[in-house]
Amino acid sequence: MNVQSNKYIYTYSIILISIVAVVLTLVSVALKPFQEENRRIEKMLSILYSINVQTKKETVANDYKRYIVNSFVVDSKGEIVKNKVAFEINVEEENKKPFNKRMLPVYVAEVNNEKKYIIALYGKGLWGPIWGFLSLNNDFNTVYGCYFDHKGETPGLGAEIATFEFQKQFKNKKLFDEQKNFVGIKTVKGGADKNNPHEVDAISGGTITSDCLTKMLFDGIKNYIGFLKKGNNYGK
Amino acid sequence: MEEILNIFLKAAFIENMALAFFLGMCSFLAVSNTVKTSMGLGIAVTFVLIFTTPLNFLINYYFLKPGALTWISDSLKDIDLSYLSFLIFIATIATAVQIVEMVVEKSFPSLYNSLGIFLPLIAVNCAILGASLFMQEREYSSLSQVIPFSLGSGIGWLLAIVSLAAIREKITYSNIPEPLKGPGIAFITTGLLAIAFMSFMGIQL
Amino acid sequence: MENKEPLFSAKIKKTFLEPLNINNPITIQILGICSALAVTVKFKPALVMAISVVVVTGFSNLIIALLRNTIPMRIRIIVQLTVIATLVIIVDQILKAFVYDVSKQLSVFVGLIITNCIVMGRLEAFAMANKPWPSFVDGIANGLGYGIILIIVAFFREILGNGTILNEKIIPDFLYNAGYLNNGLVILPPMALIFIGIIIWVQRGVLIKKK
Repeated sequence: MNVQSNKYIYTYSIILISIVAVVLTLVSVALKPFQEENRRIEKMLSILYSINVQTKKETVANDYKRYIVNSFVVDSKGEIVKNKVAFEINVEEENKKPFNKRMLPVYVAEVNNEKKYIIALYGKGLWGPIWGFLSLNNDFNTVYGCYFDHKGETPGLGAEIATFEFQKQFKNKKLFDEQKNFVGIKTVKGGADKNNPHEVDAISGGTITSDCLTKMLFDGIKNYIGFLKKGNNYGK
Repeated sequence: MEEILNIFLKAAFIENMALAFFLGMCSFLAVSNTVKTSMGLGIAVTFVLIFTTPLNFLINYYFLKPGALTWISDSLKDIDLSYLSFLIFIATIATAVQIVEMVVEKSFPSLYNSLGIFLPLIAVNCAILGASLFMQEREYSSLSQVIPFSLGSGIGWLLAIVSLAAIREKITYSNIPEPLKGPGIAFITTGLLAIAFMSFMGIQL
Repeated sequence: MENKEPLFSAKIKKTFLEPLNINNPITIQILGICSALAVTVKFKPALVMAISVVVVTGFSNLIIALLRNTIPMRIRIIVQLTVIATLVIIVDQILKAFVYDVSKQLSVFVGLIITNCIVMGRLEAFAMANKPWPSFVDGIANGLGYGIILIIVAFFREILGNGTILNEKIIPDFLYNAGYLNNGLVILPPMALIFIGIIIWVQRGVLIKKK
């Protein structure tokens, strides 16, 4: 058979492509449940992490049931939206909508008989998306804990936003100033003022990622201002 | 307009493919002996980049990403073909490279001879696949973002490889320890060049 | 016409050992540098990356060697890339399903294995002209040769940059108390290049002395 003829080349390509397509589709379909389960587990782990509960893959489902006592969806004015499941809201998609059409998930956790409110954040990093959860005390102002993660920030640099060392700085920081104006929390390059309730240290060498994180915090919390200002109504 | 310029400058300098992300290093280190060949390779890479990245963007946008097929029919909105993206991207790139190879061979035989084996190897130049993967990862939303991005990446890569070649041309005459000659010193030079390039990273656009 | 070779003949041994040292893909052949740099900040991603590359080089060499007499010359590069890309997608999907956290750290660099010149280079230089078994060994060995360098670089970068290995603290506290500091420069990407430069220096120095 002439291996170099056009007819052979066409037949060869078609057979090769069909085999590859079948193999890849099989692999993708077979592994999809595992990957989706990973994503669910990861989301539950992150939510729990933001209230400083660290648990394992195997126990996460139970812990999630124990700590997260309620969850609901609000709009930008802070009104509860009915018939929506907070866990299934895709924050990335919501951020693409106009400001007052966004659906915002809120998770309510109970730690030591105190209610904590967890809000979801999503933004752009240096390489790809970054996201996180921020938990607030029931004054709807003081940060109780947080969780940040990223898709592909530079390991050792921007990727450090996902470490406890960085995240523990956020505890007890405040979102609003004393006049109840929204200030948010900034990452500051070269060291933050320890007494300033709105500043944390940026990551050395990860300046761009730190700035992206500042922007994500600002934009993300802004979504929830309606909810946070009304906050006390939900507390009771 | 301002956004286009920003993306271009960012891709060319701050996020330089070769010096900030180290993509396309193989040909980068192997070819950068003389300024002339590096220039040729740089132009070839830029050309392939501005051709393939927008094309891959369109393919990704209209076929591969989750929910991309809704323009055919609403019932296809649950289909997610993004697992095929590596394969489709590299196929586009390989095809484009073969076209470039044929054009260069016919029209610029002297360039073809000096680039030798590295022309087909552009297909496996990480800078080119890398640009397509970043385009997907960073979720650019229109061609007006993707075109300046790919042009900037190409030109940035060209600048980096030409400046390294210029340094290496001078280094040939220096007294380097025998085992360090060739690739060893090239790595270290590139490392130092990259540290210098990191100073662009602080610039905010 | 085929002489049965023993499974571990001297030739196979040579095929296996050369890429680990005197013909190392990174330090001697200068191939596959791109991904070597970005994933070597920490030990664990470097290890997973090394394993992934070994799998891809081994099996792509095997498959191409099996197909070598049927591949039309004119489309051979595309055929090779198709095989590599398919294997990489499978590896990527498996990583996403079973070691999700590491796969997130590696991000685009798993995809960039496709354009790792080692894979392509071995297909062209070895698998297109050799039988399946030697090709498989050659692929595995080149993957390992690459992996060793990744792991050496990652080892030094993690220990000097973070004072840890696999996130376990290695540098004892009294050193820190005596004024020792983690070297932030080592974590920056350009230092990977300089480390590889030094490895090449040492390796070539030893090789030249032997001669």
